Amino acid sequence: MDELTKTLYRRFGHASFRPGQREVVEDVLAGRDVLAMLPTGSGKSLCYQLPAYLLQGSVLIVSPLVSLMEDQVEQLRRRGEKRVIAFHSLLDAEEKWQALASLAEFRFIYASPEMLQSAKFLTALRRVCISLFVVDEAHCISQWGYDFRPDFLKLGEIRRALGAPPCLALTATAPPEVQEDIIRTLGMDGARRHIHSVDRPNIALCVEHCSSTEDKAARLVDYAKRLEGPGIIYFSSRQWAEETARRLDQCGAGRVAYYHAGMDGEQRLLVQQQFLYGQLDIVCCTSAFGMGVNKENVRFVLHFHMPTQLEAYVQEIGRAGRDGAPSLAVLFYADGDRAMVQAVAEAELLSPRELHNWCQRLPQGAGWEAAMAALEAPGFTDIQKRLLAYFLEREQREMPGWLTAEAKGRLYGRMAAAIEARRRWKRKKLQEMDEWVNLSSCRRQALVRAFGEELTGRRDVCCDRCGLSLDGYGRAVHRPEAAPVRHWREELWDMLFGEGRTNEAAK
Amino acid sequence: MRHGYASFLLAHCLRRFNGERMLAAVYHVFSGKKSAQTLQDSKWFQLEPLFGTWKNVTMAALEEAAMALVEQRLALSAKQRTYTLTAAGEEWLDKHAALFPRHLNGWRYHEAEPLFWQRLSLIGQTLSNLVHGRRFAPICRDERTLQWVKQYLLAKGSRQMLAKTLHQELVRLLEAVSEEAATIFTLRLTSAVRIGWTMEQIAAHLQKEALYVQFQFRNVLHYMMAEAEVGRAPMMAELMSGLAPAVLTQSAQKTYEWLRKGKTMEAIAEIRRLKRSTIEDHIVEIAANVPGFSIAPFVDDEKAAAIRAAAQALRTRKLKEIREALDGKVSYFEIRLVLAKEVGRWTS
Repeated sequence: MDELTKTLYRRFGHASFRPGQREVVEDVLAGRDVLAMLPTGSGKSLCYQLPAYLLQGSVLIVSPLVSLMEDQVEQLRRRGEKRVIAFHSLLDAEEKWQALASLAEFRFIYASPEMLQSAKFLTALRRVCISLFVVDEAHCISQWGYDFRPDFLKLGEIRRALGAPPCLALTATAPPEVQEDIIRTLGMDGARRHIHSVDRPNIALCVEHCSSTEDKAARLVDYAKRLEGPGIIYFSSRQWAEETARRLDQCGAGRVAYYHAGMDGEQRLLVQQQFLYGQLDIVCCTSAFGMGVNKENVRFVLHFHMPTQLEAYVQEIGRAGRDGAPSLAVLFYADGDRAMVQAVAEAELLSPRELHNWCQRLPQGAGWEAAMAALEAPGFTDIQKRLLAYFLEREQREMPGWLTAEAKGRLYGRMAAAIEARRRWKRKKLQEMDEWVNLSSCRRQALVRAFGEELTGRRDVCCDRCGLSLDGYGRAVHRPEAAPVRHWREELWDMLFGEGRTNEAAK
Repeated sequence: MRHGYASFLLAHCLRRFNGERMLAAVYHVFSGKKSAQTLQDSKWFQLEPLFGTWKNVTMAALEEAAMALVEQRLALSAKQRTYTLTAAGEEWLDKHAALFPRHLNGWRYHEAEPLFWQRLSLIGQTLSNLVHGRRFAPICRDERTLQWVKQYLLAKGSRQMLAKTLHQELVRLLEAVSEEAATIFTLRLTSAVRIGWTMEQIAAHLQKEALYVQFQFRNVLHYMMAEAEVGRAPMMAELMSGLAPAVLTQSAQKTYEWLRKGKTMEAIAEIRRLKRSTIEDHIVEIAANVPGFSIAPFVDDEKAAAIRAAAQALRTRKLKEIREALDGKVSYFEIRLVLAKEVGRWTS
């Protein structure tokens, strides 16, 4: 056993690397910049967690989602790692400033890109020896990433401010143009690229064309009742997710719950944990569900609405079959879906009229802060604000000075053009998604091509276009009944004394 | 229950408000708005139990609940967005009085409750997994709670003993509430054998409304906290350490401290760089909450007596009406002070 494998075993309890991990780890340890595109569920985080034990100093990990960060911190702690901390908006201010004083003591420093905008935080970081600068979900860096996060675009500057430590950019889904964006933004020319196929051979692909939304709903319910779980069903609206969960529950499809960003944190965590521990068969959710849900045995992922682009689709179906066992992805499609999904996708974009009115209301002759402040006023959604703030900042650099009538006119023109460009891009991505849905040739081939790959060899099980039998995905006749709820006294007894029935939650 | 739990809670508020407040005031009480007006409304109309107990309430939900009451002729729409109960409504409310969560004390506990519950559920989960010898992912992600629970367990030593204490205390507390409330509370707990259920899952299981389940759950929590505070639940009292609610808002507390040092209102406004009206709000809050606080320095006895008499004669707590009855010779501040002091002597 070589040193690397020994460390892997000692720290993580794995006897061997999973495909792709070793090459990335070796390049990172050699101090090279690395762009790694590894499929979801392939153990991306190990690519920086292992080097952290072999490099001097701290590893800084920039991560876009608080829940994702919390999951990783929690996993590290469970392995006995104490030198880990996460900085994000939900942290208590006092705690944050306390930790800043002793930052260098931490082996893992997680931070949201928003936190990195703080001068105080950056100053503290500069006193720390950062041996590796990790950007997780690096596709967010591209302004053409499907998850628009303007603060990610500044990560290149931040990396330079920290003395340009070696950089590892991780992503599961980045088509070639996004890869280029990542490399350019982070200033990592000459980076080693480890690009693995987005193809997941054990996931069969299928599209069901339906005649109407009602037909779709009926077919979806039928599938959900017949397929072997556990499974995830994606919707583009919270309401549909809730309603379908109720419908599935009533028709005896198993133990079903819904999950979306409108629920409070505790209820969301409960549903996520119930799913992980096998207390649920099906989760009906929006795209808010999934990141950080490391469940090996998800057997199917259904889409009641198609996502707004193929990258998102690949991410979402990638939550199936991480254990390598046969799994199924079915997308349900009916006429009118495209218009509906387009409306959802473009909700973040102001119409020219809204933008015009907003520009008009800016105080004449004021400074740019007034424009920034005006973002808070008229009930924009968070993503609209984020987008406008990004465009505004860009224009401010281009045309410094006061907001004269003329400057306001130009501002409107340039922002309208930027929004229009984003609209066109979104439509192009949706068009791509839509074409994939309506494809008459092999779906797998088309999917990998969108990521600049070619499929080599034929799969035994592929997609509905290549011929797919759903027989192997049906439910076993006997499925374990949900454990009955007992009297509260007995439940409490089981909880704290551990005698009584066998463990329902044991994996 | 035919009309929904939201309607029941609303009807309770309408009875107390007696047509003197608009629907928005109900909204502010439930959502726990920290404005002087809402704080006083909660006191004057004895709605303290409900203060801040339905944080995600929407105006739309309340409007719907009001519509349901009107349709069933349980309430009337007097003026725009103001409703009063009909005789049938009063009767209906009395008939269902048992549905009111009688331990609820939002006024005192709505701020401490989330952290108290986080501690309790995380300790339950941790002890359960220790007893079962399992690793687990904490059901709470709040860093403050994780740290607190860790310290607590380290300081306690024997896990077996602690599990036993927790069990005894929970059983004793749950025996004092209804079977249904005890079931709801237990199902919310996460153990080594079961991840806790969501409100919706419990509601579906019991075939009740989620809102009802939520209030029953809160009712149990507030009961536990109250028992802890009077010394009848020692472990719960430990879980409450540092969470025991202050009587005054932080800002009012500061003003109170300056007052006790002998500063005048003007001086305090100057020192704290606050508007005079804000200091006035604080003083009203202090008058309503601190027993024995004298309002004599702010309103002379004669005026105070006149205000009291007018309020009683008019049977109203509407500031404007009282002020008009006294020909505008008293200020709103003076009326609010007197009424704040009167809280408790007014029972409907």
